[in-house]
Amino acid sequence: MQQEAILLGSEAVAHGVRLCRPEVISAYPITPQTHIIETLSEMVDDGELTSRFIKVESEMSAIAAVLGAVSAGSRSFTASSSQGLAMMHELLHWYAGARLPLVLVNANRALGAPWNIWSDQSDSFSQRDTGWLQIYCETSQEALDTIIIAYRASELLMLPIMVMIDGFILSHTMERLLVPDQEMVDDFLPPYQAPYKLDPDKPLTFGAAAQPDLFYELKKTMSATMLEAGPLLKECERSFAAIFDRAYEPVIHCPEGDEKADTALICCGATTGTAREAVKRLRQENIAIDLFKMRLLRPFPQTELIAALEGKKRIIILNRALSYGVGGTLSQELRAALYNLDRRPVINDVIISLGGREVFPETIMDIVKRRKELSPTASNWL
Amino acid sequence: MSTLEIAQFKHISAIHNRDFNGLPISSTSTAVNLTGSWKFFRPKMAEKGSPCQSACPLRIPIAGYLRQLAEQNPAAALETLREINPLPAVTGRVCPHFCEAACNRLEFDEAVKIGDLERWLGDFGLDRPHRFAPAPETDLKVAVVGAGPAGLAAAVFLARRGVAVEIFERGQEAGGLLASAIPAYRLPRDILRNELDNLLSSYPAITLHCDRNIDPGELTALAKEFAAIILATGLPESIIPAAWQDNPRVIGALKLLATINRGMEIEGDRFTVVGGGNAALDAARSLLRRGKKVEIVYRRTLAEMPAYEEEKEQARAEGITIHQETVVGGLENRGENLQLTLCRAQKENGGIVAGEVLRREDCDILVVAIGQQAADGYLQAKLPETILRAGDFAHGAATVAEALASGRKAAAQVWSRLNDCPVPSETGEPLGIADFTRVHPDYFHPRPAVRPNLLPARERRAGFAEIRTGLSPAETCREAERCFSCGTCTTCGICWFFCPEVAIAIAPDAGSDNGKVLFDYDHCKGCGQCAAICPRGVIEMEEDL
Repeated sequence: MQQEAILLGSEAVAHGVRLCRPEVISAYPITPQTHIIETLSEMVDDGELTSRFIKVESEMSAIAAVLGAVSAGSRSFTASSSQGLAMMHELLHWYAGARLPLVLVNANRALGAPWNIWSDQSDSFSQRDTGWLQIYCETSQEALDTIIIAYRASELLMLPIMVMIDGFILSHTMERLLVPDQEMVDDFLPPYQAPYKLDPDKPLTFGAAAQPDLFYELKKTMSATMLEAGPLLKECERSFAAIFDRAYEPVIHCPEGDEKADTALICCGATTGTAREAVKRLRQENIAIDLFKMRLLRPFPQTELIAALEGKKRIIILNRALSYGVGGTLSQELRAALYNLDRRPVINDVIISLGGREVFPETIMDIVKRRKELSPTASNWL
Repeated sequence: MSTLEIAQFKHISAIHNRDFNGLPISSTSTAVNLTGSWKFFRPKMAEKGSPCQSACPLRIPIAGYLRQLAEQNPAAALETLREINPLPAVTGRVCPHFCEAACNRLEFDEAVKIGDLERWLGDFGLDRPHRFAPAPETDLKVAVVGAGPAGLAAAVFLARRGVAVEIFERGQEAGGLLASAIPAYRLPRDILRNELDNLLSSYPAITLHCDRNIDPGELTALAKEFAAIILATGLPESIIPAAWQDNPRVIGALKLLATINRGMEIEGDRFTVVGGGNAALDAARSLLRRGKKVEIVYRRTLAEMPAYEEEKEQARAEGITIHQETVVGGLENRGENLQLTLCRAQKENGGIVAGEVLRREDCDILVVAIGQQAADGYLQAKLPETILRAGDFAHGAATVAEALASGRKAAAQVWSRLNDCPVPSETGEPLGIADFTRVHPDYFHPRPAVRPNLLPARERRAGFAEIRTGLSPAETCREAERCFSCGTCTTCGICWFFCPEVAIAIAPDAGSDNGKVLFDYDHCKGCGQCAAICPRGVIEMEEDL
């Protein structure tokens, strides 16, 4: 059974986490993530959730607390945003290197200065080399489902997964969605059984010094695991779809788009919803545009992307994260992936929004209409 | 519904059938990796004296015995205390407690009531014999002249070293000024007697001869009989100006107090006391309790009076008038009366003389409390150098604690001389002081000090009942818990908690000094966190050479 509900994005995330029965939760509040852990702390207080909720004084401590908890064999959860995620940075590397599973939800928000609390993907994009899997969600339903899928995948891979929702656009917006029953989730997600854990009776050393040769070998193994994480995640998504009847893939083709169109828009996160509307309206104006959503950023779904974009002449990438001095971060990722195509498309790097600057369907329609004026090399600003 | 089976993912090469070979986990020990070799500094245990201990004339290890009291082990606390101070029930009452004025807690909330705790412990020990490590018996015999605090302390610390001591006391009982001069409302007679009896019966090596005055002329003969002589004859006589000495209506405060303490009647109804020290106040307050009219004349201001503040406050509350900056310019016997000429005190050539006449007043007796001096014969006596002095007779009028310390020191000096060895010390060498800058108040909670009850002034005037009530065992324990234990490791474990290298072990039973916290120097990287957070300022960093 799945219960229909109207929930805030942050509440949907909390319910997703609740259904996965984490034993330890530790987080530090930060807008726009705070609702998630507030809801979880209320669930713990009400007894709805039997997790141990560890209050901490910083995000650094939050990630350190769950690092310890998971090392001891407990399924755990944390969430953050923006400066908070940046503060975790050092331990994000350590966490993945320690080969421990975890699901972290990041509510995407801009990094200062100047202060800005609105949606922007720079915070998680700048963590893409830390060894975590990264999944970007378009809807709250997708976020809820992805958390369940992510725990499954993370514990099989022994690698942590970061699940992104757009701050405010998802976190603070109500959505009609389905909340699965506990029984269904329990069938899909068995309890975490740590292959190794902290145990005074069986002492082991975790993450101790590795000599250069061993370090190299361990990183090679981790990299191989990451590359094979794509197929594993797909397996998990397929199994999830079989139980819950909602299908997800690393790269999603949006049905609003015209498959035959030689121009494709690529989005990441909640902008996709706006782009769906823009593409629909463009079609009424007889402008054919195809539309794809990048759900998985790490591991990078190279094969799926090449298959999806084969034959396109122009790719317009709507970036909401920036690598200063290069351009949109997503564009750089795609450029590298598409280099191997026999006939390389023109790539238009568009900086569609930063720091929560509003994106309307008209904004996207206007870009598409001006597509021939867009620079194929430099970033295109509005 | 289908569920995923782990076996489905065998194709993932990095995960070999859940064997997880690629995880950075090792079953070998890190013990071989001696990260301690990286350090430039190393922590060490450096227990220190507390400010209270350094302020105490006796150097009592106050933090140590308060800790034992807080741990509800009064028997051990008593041992610790009496090892240094043989008369705690006395000093707990009459000492001005320099320790409390130095307590680090003063800068936090208020000082620990060390005096009341010492008193409680002293009373606890009244029927418990002194226990001391037996020393090999010697054939040494030492004579002590005077059984006041200094003489008794000298005897005790010699007896503990196996020396036979004979005390010659000119009075009827031991105690010196404790018995003859300190009023019962400050030091009840039964408490004093119990404590002295307990002390003397605890040390069979001490023989007390009462009613045995030693004239300075006898000392040469005594020196032949004893290996050493310690003179602790005190300053038992009040100084009386020559012009008044033969006046039958003039009496020294010490003589008056001795008469009152022996329970004898005092003639006269109206008394004037001259002086501003404790003896003056003791005399006036005792007379008040005998139903006499009494007032005090003092040549300087109230603030300049050398008597303890508490005594001044209590005397005023009891209704004793103190005439400040007033001197007795003259006195005239008129039949049964004594007429005093009271003059304004006038500063002249660095001294104070009688200025303009304020008024003339009648009284029955003038009590003089302007100073003390040695007993007849000892005043100008030339003493052989081999004779040691102790107590007031050695250093001038001072507190009981100072007299005890002086007696203890004399015993050590005698021992050193007789054995041709360095002067031994009961208190050890001071290790530096854990002052307020060295303790971490963050680890302590503010808590008000215990407030012993004082008998109301009205009831006090009616008799010689002790003014200050003692503490209950529960109050004692709670008050002792307020002690920071400055400079003493209590094995609180804060260092263990903060050590990022798991290089600290706590061993509460490992003994008093450097054994309580054990540093694993093979793995300590010398970060210094333990030294920075030690709540009691015990851990210090030193260069790792």
